[in-house]
Amino acid sequence: MKPMIELRGVSKTVQSGDRALTILHPLDLSVPAGQSLSIVGPSGSGKSTLLGLIAGLDTPSTGRILIGGTDITTLDEDALARLRGARIGFVFQFFHLIPSLTALENVMVPLEIAGVANAVHRARGLLADVGLTDRGHHYPSQLSGGEQQRVAIARALANDPPILLADEPTGNLDSTNGRHVIDLLVDINRKRDTTLMLVTHDRELAGCTDVTLSMRDGRTERAESPHAVLEPAGAAAL
Amino acid sequence: MTFILRMAYRELRASWRRLIFFFCCVAIGVGGIVALRSLVQNVRTALATEARGLTAGDIYVRTDQPWSDGVQGRIRERAAEVPGAELTETVDTVTMARLPADVGTRTKVVEVRGVEPAFPFYGRFTLESGAAYSSALLRDGGVLVGRELLPQLGVAVGDRILIGDETFTIRDAIVTEPGRQLGGFSLGPRVLVAHDALARTGLIEFGSRAERQLLLRVPEEEAIEPLVRLLREDLQEAFVRIGSYRRTENRIERNFSRAENYLSLIGFVIVILGGIGVWSVTRVFVQQRLRSAAILKCLGATTADVLAVYVVQVALLGLGGALLGVGVAWAVLAAVPESLASQAAATTGFQVVSTALTLSAVLQGLAVGLLVSLLFALVPLLDTRHAKPLLLLRQGDALGALPPDRVRIAATILVGLGLVGVAAWQAASLEVGAYVAGGFIGVAGALHVLGRTLVRMTRPLETARWFPLRHAALNLRRPGNQTRVVLLAVGLGSFFIIGVHAVQANLLASFSLELRDDMPDMFLIDVQQDQADGVTRVLRDAGLGGPGGVGAPELIPVLRARVTAVTGPVTSIEGRRAVRRAGFGREYTVTYRDRLEDNERIVAGAFWDASPASFPEVSIEDSLMERGMRLGDTVRFDVLGRIVEARVTSVREVDWDDSRSGGFMFLFSPGTFDGAPHSYISFLRGPVEPDARGALQRTLVDRYPNVSVIDGLEIIRTFRRVLDYVTLAVTVVGAIALLAGGLILVGSVAMTKFQRLFDAAVFKTLGANTRLIAVMYVFEYGVLGTLAGLVGSVGALALTWVLTRQVLDVPWTPAPAVNIGGVLVTAVVVLVVGVASSVDVLRRKPLLTLRAE
Repeated sequence: MKPMIELRGVSKTVQSGDRALTILHPLDLSVPAGQSLSIVGPSGSGKSTLLGLIAGLDTPSTGRILIGGTDITTLDEDALARLRGARIGFVFQFFHLIPSLTALENVMVPLEIAGVANAVHRARGLLADVGLTDRGHHYPSQLSGGEQQRVAIARALANDPPILLADEPTGNLDSTNGRHVIDLLVDINRKRDTTLMLVTHDRELAGCTDVTLSMRDGRTERAESPHAVLEPAGAAAL
Repeated sequence: MTFILRMAYRELRASWRRLIFFFCCVAIGVGGIVALRSLVQNVRTALATEARGLTAGDIYVRTDQPWSDGVQGRIRERAAEVPGAELTETVDTVTMARLPADVGTRTKVVEVRGVEPAFPFYGRFTLESGAAYSSALLRDGGVLVGRELLPQLGVAVGDRILIGDETFTIRDAIVTEPGRQLGGFSLGPRVLVAHDALARTGLIEFGSRAERQLLLRVPEEEAIEPLVRLLREDLQEAFVRIGSYRRTENRIERNFSRAENYLSLIGFVIVILGGIGVWSVTRVFVQQRLRSAAILKCLGATTADVLAVYVVQVALLGLGGALLGVGVAWAVLAAVPESLASQAAATTGFQVVSTALTLSAVLQGLAVGLLVSLLFALVPLLDTRHAKPLLLLRQGDALGALPPDRVRIAATILVGLGLVGVAAWQAASLEVGAYVAGGFIGVAGALHVLGRTLVRMTRPLETARWFPLRHAALNLRRPGNQTRVVLLAVGLGSFFIIGVHAVQANLLASFSLELRDDMPDMFLIDVQQDQADGVTRVLRDAGLGGPGGVGAPELIPVLRARVTAVTGPVTSIEGRRAVRRAGFGREYTVTYRDRLEDNERIVAGAFWDASPASFPEVSIEDSLMERGMRLGDTVRFDVLGRIVEARVTSVREVDWDDSRSGGFMFLFSPGTFDGAPHSYISFLRGPVEPDARGALQRTLVDRYPNVSVIDGLEIIRTFRRVLDYVTLAVTVVGAIALLAGGLILVGSVAMTKFQRLFDAAVFKTLGANTRLIAVMYVFEYGVLGTLAGLVGSVGALALTWVLTRQVLDVPWTPAPAVNIGGVLVTAVVVLVVGVASSVDVLRRKPLLTLRAE
């Protein structure tokens, strides 16, 4: 199966004071289209850094990242923004809705950036999909954490991206709301055949994905594959 | 594009309340520009359409010498060649009006105009009674007087006044009159008499100070300019000034354009203050919006898209502020009270001056508001380029201080040039624009450095043991603080106000200095030769000494002379045009004596001695050297028709501040004017008591009606009044600047409110009560206000020193009351505004804030 996400020798080193600190050691990874993968590990293990690199939010120190066959390490900021707009949906731990916009407007933003006609209609449909039909006119401050995260998921799905990345999507939610969000993400992955990659501390959430990748100190430790769909890229990787 | 406009609209919907204060600053400046420009344009339009009324004729020929038969004959011949042309003569002179002896003792300097029945050809008189003007009013000893003369002399219509040897009856009071020069310096109210009656007063004698004018009416518009050209050719060697009403029109156009442009610069300076507010708010606003910008980028927006969203917001707010400014201008002009409009009408001589806004002023105001907003917002907005989506993965991370990159530097230069451009556009001169923008940047830069230094000096307070004081000092330097911008804006406002009041105090102090006991405060002019002994006797009888307080008051012989040629080894200035071009065209008052006065010093050549010279000698004032006159040159003068040649044998420096002996540009050797008619002037110190002063004036004018007694104290009072107006005008500008500073302060508090809310919530959670936090704010704004006041006050001290010593040339005396008072008032204003704006922060329940965080 053609990989949707492919990492070749990707590493990240930052300068901490006068010494170099490697927060992600060279890594190869291949995630086929439609697969769901969770990354687990303690704080500071490099999970979010890895996710950020795949989303093009940061630049790797070495290696190449291919999204649907496109090497994103050669793209400039604006090209990365366009790529994200079209092919990657991102869900954050802290939701990151624009506080000055209503729920509906937040969902409309990626559609409008992409120049989609009738953005309102589509955004309403997405809000309905996440169970927030009646909350479209509310501002983020008027929504609960779970509702905000559902709006963020609807926003991430706005342009029907083939990849959905989520950084600790339940990390800021209580168990009920967390469960709701987990169900939603799994459902999306199955129904839309979206490649789902998420970072989580939540074992329950991790257990719902096809593959779980453990990380510690910037290195991958092991991969568990309860559903046995994992395709490691190179023997050394996983 | 749709996305950009929609996003801009949505963001504005949420943020306009916080930004409104800053755009109010833009509104004030734009309001100033639009109101001032509209008003001046309206007055200009009104005046330009009435230019004929201002001249009272199509063509004027003026001279300050009696008409020679040749000159007047030539004018009349030329007029006769134009079918239907008419001609009338007026004569203006300054003299004393007084009451008949049986009525009272008051006297007053007036400007008398003698007119023939045909006057005026254009324009109309407005008389207080509402009656129409007719020359019949001036028949049989009738006189019309400026209405301000009535209370000054204590008379009413129907009463009699004396002018020269004649008694006149006041027939009506003049409200407006045609043919009065606009904005000219006036020595006294107008008095209008019949031309022949003026001749009977005995005031227009040979050598008297009078301006004669021939006015022509030409039926055909096309015939005006050719006739002016012909007259100029015919009379090029005569001492006359020739022009048409169009010249008046052009002069009005020029003067008003200049006034309009300079006044607009005042509005521009206020807009710039608003711009500083815009810069400040945009900086904080961008910091608060970096996360939103990062989200947009995460959702697919490019850097240009994000920048465009914020540029459009600033443009919309700038336009909104400018529109609000136009509204303010409209309201201000609509609210101009009737009384002011009628006062303006009285000053300009026109009843209808529109108070509507003009289209060009509105468009200019909108453009300036928009441009300045965009220019000042540009550099901070560029920070959105650095909003990295990665920021979203790290809660709490914010953008630190960015090093200037090429784009920022280029944008800063562009903004500087843009400001010079806008200033040049407003002043209609690149040079003035560059000076104003440069001066503003210089003053703002100096005040900014001063403010930083003062803030640094508050550092010891950061370790104060008392909690509110320590935190107040820390707040001044908190991240994202508005201290510098508030110091600059409020400091500039107080700088204007304190500066102008300190300059005023210095000017008044210097006048008091000049009015010391040995300085003259009364001036006699036009004393005729046969009156000299009599006048001296009157002065002696009044117990007056000379300016030194000893001896008899000195009568100085004077003649009025014009330069007609200057020739010498290297100098050759001949003919009236050349003389005028060289800068010697005016009429000079000259004298002769055999000694130097105390205020004179020879700087070149040698002063004549007592031995008679074979050739008349003249000593020139040293500034004439700058215009090309040299030692050894021969200067030819026309002294009331008599040609006198004299050689320049010395150059004098005159201390003009010492007015005891007057000052003369040309001083001749004795004997030069033997036999020539001349008059006398005198500088003397009049009696101290007002009654005695009045009595002396009365006695002199009664006996010698042609002599004008000018009261220096009255001139100083007038000057003081003018100075008060100027001070008031600049104070208003300063107050507006201070208001803009206050708005920036309120806006700064609003912009940083979130941080303050959080801090206050944490303090309250940790046990601080509202009172303690309020005391902290009182200290913070008290210190900020004191620093802003100090910035203004120290700046004002420097300004006063430069202005008094370098420009006004008066001694500099510190005005501690003005400076200290300024600091206190500024501190109180900032304290009150700052604490009042923070009431919301004090009242908010801490849990609400902490939950929101």
